[in-house]
Amino acid sequence: MRYKIAYLAALSLPLSACDKAADNAPKSEAAKEAAGESTIAQGLGDDAGRFAAAAKAVGLDTTLAGPGPYTVLVPTDDAFGKLPDGALDNMMKPESRPQLTKVLTYHILSGAILAEDINKAIENGGGKTQLISVGGGTLTAAKEGDKIVVTDGAGGKAVVTAADGKHSNGVVHKIDTVLTPA
Amino acid sequence: MRSWILAAGAAAIALTAPALADPNKGGGKGQGGGHQGHNQQAKADRGGGNADRGGGQAMRQSKPAKAERQVSVRPDRGRDNSPRKAGVEDRSPGKAREAKAGPGRGDKAVAVDGDGNDIRLVRRDWNDGVFFRNGRVPFGCPPGLDRKDNGCLPPGQAKKLLGAPLLAGFANDRIPVQYRNWYPDSDDFLYRTGDGFIYRVNRSNNLVDGLIPLFGGGGYYALGDPWPQPYNFYNVPTQYQSYWPNNGPYAYRYGDGAIYQIDPATSAVSGIVALLAGDLGVGSSLPLGYDVYNVPMAYRGQYYDTSDAWYRYNDGYIYRVDPTTRLITAVIDAIV
Repeated sequence: MRYKIAYLAALSLPLSACDKAADNAPKSEAAKEAAGESTIAQGLGDDAGRFAAAAKAVGLDTTLAGPGPYTVLVPTDDAFGKLPDGALDNMMKPESRPQLTKVLTYHILSGAILAEDINKAIENGGGKTQLISVGGGTLTAAKEGDKIVVTDGAGGKAVVTAADGKHSNGVVHKIDTVLTPA
Repeated sequence: MRSWILAAGAAAIALTAPALADPNKGGGKGQGGGHQGHNQQAKADRGGGNADRGGGQAMRQSKPAKAERQVSVRPDRGRDNSPRKAGVEDRSPGKAREAKAGPGRGDKAVAVDGDGNDIRLVRRDWNDGVFFRNGRVPFGCPPGLDRKDNGCLPPGQAKKLLGAPLLAGFANDRIPVQYRNWYPDSDDFLYRTGDGFIYRVNRSNNLVDGLIPLFGGGGYYALGDPWPQPYNFYNVPTQYQSYWPNNGPYAYRYGDGAIYQIDPATSAVSGIVALLAGDLGVGSSLPLGYDVYNVPMAYRGQYYDTSDAWYRYNDGYIYRVDPTTRLITAVIDAIV
């Protein structure tokens, strides 16, 4: 059975954002993101250095610079700071790479998901909805006030503190807690 | 590969993954919160090959209470810190996997694929809190052979499948619907499934010249991991081949939910170029977790949810879903 397949020319790899930035300097990270010029890997932001380093340690930096698209729940540096002492250091060791990859991929979803999409599904779901990460881990999303709160497989909760960071290859939502698969 | 693949009558095996640094976490935790509504999930049977499959209810055992369920950790690696090694058998005793089958919660549905073929049904319990597709649940693998990278066969035996004719019993077993747009039959190759593998059959001589384990189940490869020799052929799904072509400076290989970049000098993984969910396929039901609209931004003007049709994205394709039945009815666009 043949499926009708159309390739959208617009979905091309982004041109160098650097040149444009030079022309229109100063171009803020936010402005670049809004223009969708940067990839997720480029646009993680100043408050996500630890996530970026962790991604690089396991080879996921390449993923987040690729065509995607993905939706990434990015724990901020403060979120990593809430882990038990030494936990992050342990996770970053070479022998922990499989676990680190598992944790990081638990934060990555398929496609482009905006806060409004999650909100709608929560409404339709009578107050909560499931999300599923690329690796198959499930998360539950619900509202607390006007915030989206994500509950992980171990029962931990993360609040989305900054939603809808748009990039050429997906969407970033910053969260305040590292999610743990069950 | 998606190791949640089940056949009707096959035993489902539950396990949870290890915790990280925190020893107090982990274990058989259920999913957070209760479940709303959508328990109508079913995974279409892939026609996968274990001989047990095909019977209906006869193989099912009653579902043990959660407290009794043994949890076992596939990534022995995780506990003993040994990196992924091709061909290394690490069959620790006592890591029994408990067969968990029996009535799930309302995930029965009838499905036909895009060609109108009946797809056998599977049951899943979506509420067991241990639904990890990637590498956690090697359904159908006998205990002791549920090592990743072996597709339910020891690596030595897996190798023997290469260059051999496809087993007659698998000749008509098409690969799971979730992968059919990745590996479509072509003038050069057929793709069939059985005993935990996808087989690429070369039409010129009818011999198997490529193996992709369905139940690799060890989690993602780590940087520096050698790519297993029995699975070393260019198997990038068709929709991604223009991004990661063959015969370039790097080799690219698909396995267990990701496309990897392989350094040809070392034959070892040097990066992950894409993560593939492998969740959606024509004829299957929209899985839990896909209630949320996820169509990429550039396509939202064209494909938006109405009461007649939903649209969901997965692995380079946009799929149409019937909102009433939650059946995925068509692939309607490819975006890569």
